[in-house]
Amino acid sequence: MDGRLPQSPAGLTDILCLSVHLPRCKFFSLTETPEDYTIIVDEEGFLELPSSEHLSVADATWLALNVVSGGGSFSSSQPIGVTKIAKSVIAPLADQNISVFMLSTYQTDFILVRERDLPFVTHTLSSEFTILRVVNGETVAAENLGITNGFVKPKMVQRPVIHPLSSPSNRFCVTSLDPDTLPAVATLLMDVMFYSNGVKDPIAAGDDCGHIRFFSFSLIEGYISLVMDVQTQQRFPSNLLFTSASGELWKMVRIGGQPLGFDECGIVAQISEPLAAADIPAYYISTFKFDHALVPEENIHGVIGALKVSQAEKH
Amino acid sequence: MSGTKPDILWAPHQVDRFVVCDSELSLYHVESTVNSELKAGSLRLSEDSAATLLSINSDTPYMKCVAWYLNYDPECLLAVGQANGRVVLTSLGQDHNSKFRDLIGKEFVPKHARQCNTLAWNPLDSNWLAAGLDKHRADFSVLIWDICSKYTPDIVPMEKVKLSAGETETTLLVTKPLYELGQNDACLSLCWLPRDQKLLLAGMHRNLAIFDLRNTSQKMFVNTKAVQGVTVDPYFHDRVASFYEGQVAIWDLRKFEKPVLTLTEQPKPLTKVAWCPTRTGLLATLTRDSNIIRLYDMQHTPTPIGDETEPTIIERSVQPCDNYIASFAWHPTSQNRMIVVTPNRTMSDFTVFERISLAWSPITSLMWACGRHLYECAEEENDNALEKDIATKMRLRALSRYGLDTEQLWRNHILAGNEDPQLKSLWYTLHFMKQYTEDMDQKSPGNKGSLVYAGIKSIVKSSLGMVESSRHNWIGLDKQTDIQNLNEERILALQLCGWIKKGTDVDVGPFLNSLVQEEEWERAAAVALFNLDIRRAIQILNEGASSEKGDLNLNVVAMALSGYTDEKNSLWREMCSTLRLQLNNPYLCVMFAFLTSDTGSYDGVLYENKVAVRDRVAFACKFLSDTQLNRYIEKLTNEMKEAGNLEGILLTGLTKDGVDLMESYVDRTGDVQTASYCMLQGSPLDVLKDERVQYWIENYRNLLDAWRFWHKRAEFDIHRSKLDPSSKPLAQVFVSCNFCGKSISYSCSAVPHQGRGFSQYGVSGSPTKSKVTSCPGCRKPLPRCALCLINMGTPVSSCPGGSKSDEKVDLSKDKKLAQFNNWFTWCHNCRHGGHAGHMLSWFRDHAECPVSACTCKCMQLDTTGNLVPAETVQP
Repeated sequence: MDGRLPQSPAGLTDILCLSVHLPRCKFFSLTETPEDYTIIVDEEGFLELPSSEHLSVADATWLALNVVSGGGSFSSSQPIGVTKIAKSVIAPLADQNISVFMLSTYQTDFILVRERDLPFVTHTLSSEFTILRVVNGETVAAENLGITNGFVKPKMVQRPVIHPLSSPSNRFCVTSLDPDTLPAVATLLMDVMFYSNGVKDPIAAGDDCGHIRFFSFSLIEGYISLVMDVQTQQRFPSNLLFTSASGELWKMVRIGGQPLGFDECGIVAQISEPLAAADIPAYYISTFKFDHALVPEENIHGVIGALKVSQAEKH
Repeated sequence: MSGTKPDILWAPHQVDRFVVCDSELSLYHVESTVNSELKAGSLRLSEDSAATLLSINSDTPYMKCVAWYLNYDPECLLAVGQANGRVVLTSLGQDHNSKFRDLIGKEFVPKHARQCNTLAWNPLDSNWLAAGLDKHRADFSVLIWDICSKYTPDIVPMEKVKLSAGETETTLLVTKPLYELGQNDACLSLCWLPRDQKLLLAGMHRNLAIFDLRNTSQKMFVNTKAVQGVTVDPYFHDRVASFYEGQVAIWDLRKFEKPVLTLTEQPKPLTKVAWCPTRTGLLATLTRDSNIIRLYDMQHTPTPIGDETEPTIIERSVQPCDNYIASFAWHPTSQNRMIVVTPNRTMSDFTVFERISLAWSPITSLMWACGRHLYECAEEENDNALEKDIATKMRLRALSRYGLDTEQLWRNHILAGNEDPQLKSLWYTLHFMKQYTEDMDQKSPGNKGSLVYAGIKSIVKSSLGMVESSRHNWIGLDKQTDIQNLNEERILALQLCGWIKKGTDVDVGPFLNSLVQEEEWERAAAVALFNLDIRRAIQILNEGASSEKGDLNLNVVAMALSGYTDEKNSLWREMCSTLRLQLNNPYLCVMFAFLTSDTGSYDGVLYENKVAVRDRVAFACKFLSDTQLNRYIEKLTNEMKEAGNLEGILLTGLTKDGVDLMESYVDRTGDVQTASYCMLQGSPLDVLKDERVQYWIENYRNLLDAWRFWHKRAEFDIHRSKLDPSSKPLAQVFVSCNFCGKSISYSCSAVPHQGRGFSQYGVSGSPTKSKVTSCPGCRKPLPRCALCLINMGTPVSSCPGGSKSDEKVDLSKDKKLAQFNNWFTWCHNCRHGGHAGHMLSWFRDHAECPVSACTCKCMQLDTTGNLVPAETVQP
């Protein structure tokens, strides 16, 4: 999976259409934040994007890694999501100074790494995973690539939270819908994403400091994933969105005061490790400028507390 | 079945009902219309069936998959998997059994909503329902529900179950599955394994996994793309099919690392793969946008064990209708029947016609099988036709030991039934060839022998240009005719033709006498005439006319002969040359042709095809010059080769030409028996190396085996190895000593004076002479016979343990025929054994091993042990 990270402030309607109507584009993600729209798209889809001076594109091609629980090595009692892979994937990559870009979806978690970093990634992860290679449809064990690049055995380092954190007041839900019903909600989706800027929620308008705009849509290998706040969710027809039976809701931790850029490493690890230690499930969505972690609403205070402690250790 | 494309399902028990599901569920009833008109409102399914719509259920929107409850009762309970992952139980029947009314409308809700891809009812515990769902980052994709479990508000607090507005009846929701499997993975297809109630095979995102519910932390899996539509062969529970795009993979669960085979890839993606429930090894597949169903018949495949056995598959396709097929379903009980539905919901009911397989038995009866029926074709009683059949002839000849008389070769034609002049000629030719070869070898051991077997063609060629003709007087007539001087080669040729006996005596007298004895007067007269003895010819004819069976007309012929005149323009000549053509007997005909011909042109004799080749060749040897003779022989040889006429062997001998001739004979008749025996006679020459000859021999051996003429086969092999020592097989089985591991027979043959004691692996010779009860190598005793308790190696002269006198008689009677009774034999399973004769008689009355406390059913394990050679069965 190739990933490109273009970012554009406005005028994305046709891009959404593109994602829905182009069968060749297998990886598409659009995230709206107060600052910008972040698009992650594969190379096939990128070719279809209209060139625009508004579009700023991150350098390099990124590959999306996806941890599946195939292989039977995970017992069913382990925690899930970013938390689950914090120890096995995120921390080792951070230890090797490999910059990652996270995208959690309803279905799974993607870790995007630069294509040029792949040999190091493979090498790093080979201690945790069996690396397999697909050759002509058959899965075979990959030979050890033998890349050392002066690796040192990662030592247990404290990873304090460096960047400032904030927590908006929105309550979010992570959801999905049947791809067959996508045409029925296409106009609504566009409205929500591109034409609702002025129509601020009356309650949120009063509480300016806490409420932010955040909406994420992704269509990856035919699977749709949506992240939206409760107010937006209510605009969708009932019974259309996939929700959890327990009706769980999530709160957000925004990471970064200044745009984070793409080179700094260890940011995801800084957040996910304390969460993993506390066994709190989490979503993590990186965007062009900032990172966003979603945690269950009942855990938000604990999470903020734990991260603040970690932040304090820095000083 | 994504809203637009209908699927179809037969009811598992009420076999006249099926359901079509697209956006709603429609229940149909199938009726036969053979004897009745099409009812109003019915849909025609086939020429003799129609469907009536019974009910429609549109309670469950967003259907993704449907599975019919496998229990008989309630009859129309269906599980529907929805786009949001919920599984709803719904009914189409009017069955209001209170016990099951509670089930209808029950919903099974996963923690996180996503599409339900597949459903599977457990075949053993009918209340278990497995649902396969799409991936969720934090949830399981395989959920197993117990449909009878109570909704459990105390376990899952109701306030947490936030249901969408309008859903007032929350009482029928179940949120706690029995088992949860496949975390953070997608499940695309499911099926329960019939081996155990708790084994579930699932096609996950990138692998096939077998979940064992007895220990859910363990699973067996194999990485593959072929994860769609997993389905177990109902007749072979370890065989599973799955597919990916256009490729079907067949798996053996006992060897799960990779598919045992993959079927030919289809250009379009597959949509459904299903084993036929009524016939073993028949797999039906359907691709998108196709109007044919492809069938793979794995009926004749060996059980797929091991890598090497790539089974053969017969692939064919059926086209039930002109439209594209949306889906199909095998009928659960009616053999090979299926129903198909098209995207616009037209349906067609049809039966896949079974391939017909035909088999000839080696004794000319014909069987054919179609489906579950086996037909025997009995030919109408027409013994004549059957008798003429070469297979029948060969069988009878094999029984009469045809071909096995190696001393008087000519007698073989009598063993063959003495009815085929070609065989007679062939065996006389071979007889003479053998005789004169031996003769010549005695005289001068050289290479002349091979020349004899090379046939007259080679013989006359070797004497080219050495013969001059001289005028000879007719006996008792004032006439002279040019006759070739007989050199050695011509004499040899005449000998092979049978006209003269061996030695230098060129008198045909003895030959004429033997012909007269055989009452072949015309032929004898002709031969006498060709030897310029017209008086003898007339005398023979008179003799024939006066004999009991003789034809009185022969007197008339004799009279005509006696009127012979040498004058060119006489009335006699004129009449003879015209009227001779009306004579029925070819020999009488050629006699007059000879008398009326001009000197040096004997075409009337040479090309009279009804006259035996040997006589014509002998005639040619006498009267034709070298060049003429060579040309004539050449021409005749080609004629014979083309016709496959065995008389031609006289000319070709057992050479490559002879094999060519025999080839066209075998092509014409199929008589590999004669071909094999004939060519074996030529063993000193190279003909046996010809692959055609080897092919005939092998075929004849196979034929004998197929007839169960094993003794005849053995006799043939012995005969063959006598004539062709290179075909003698090496010993392949040895009996080794328990203690030193050396071969008993080997060490035996190494000791010279005991050499006769053993033959291969038994004891031969007279029982009193040799008695080897210990290993000749290490002197340790051989094992004891389980019945007589005597060490092996002792012949079964008596039967100490057996009290039955008839058994004793039986064994001792057989002893002379074959020493097989003395052979060692033992069961490969329990390793008990003893004298073959004892063992055979024991198992005539017993099923279990004679060793006490051993319950091995040795004889039943031996697939050939109970076969009886056909020679002993048939007269």
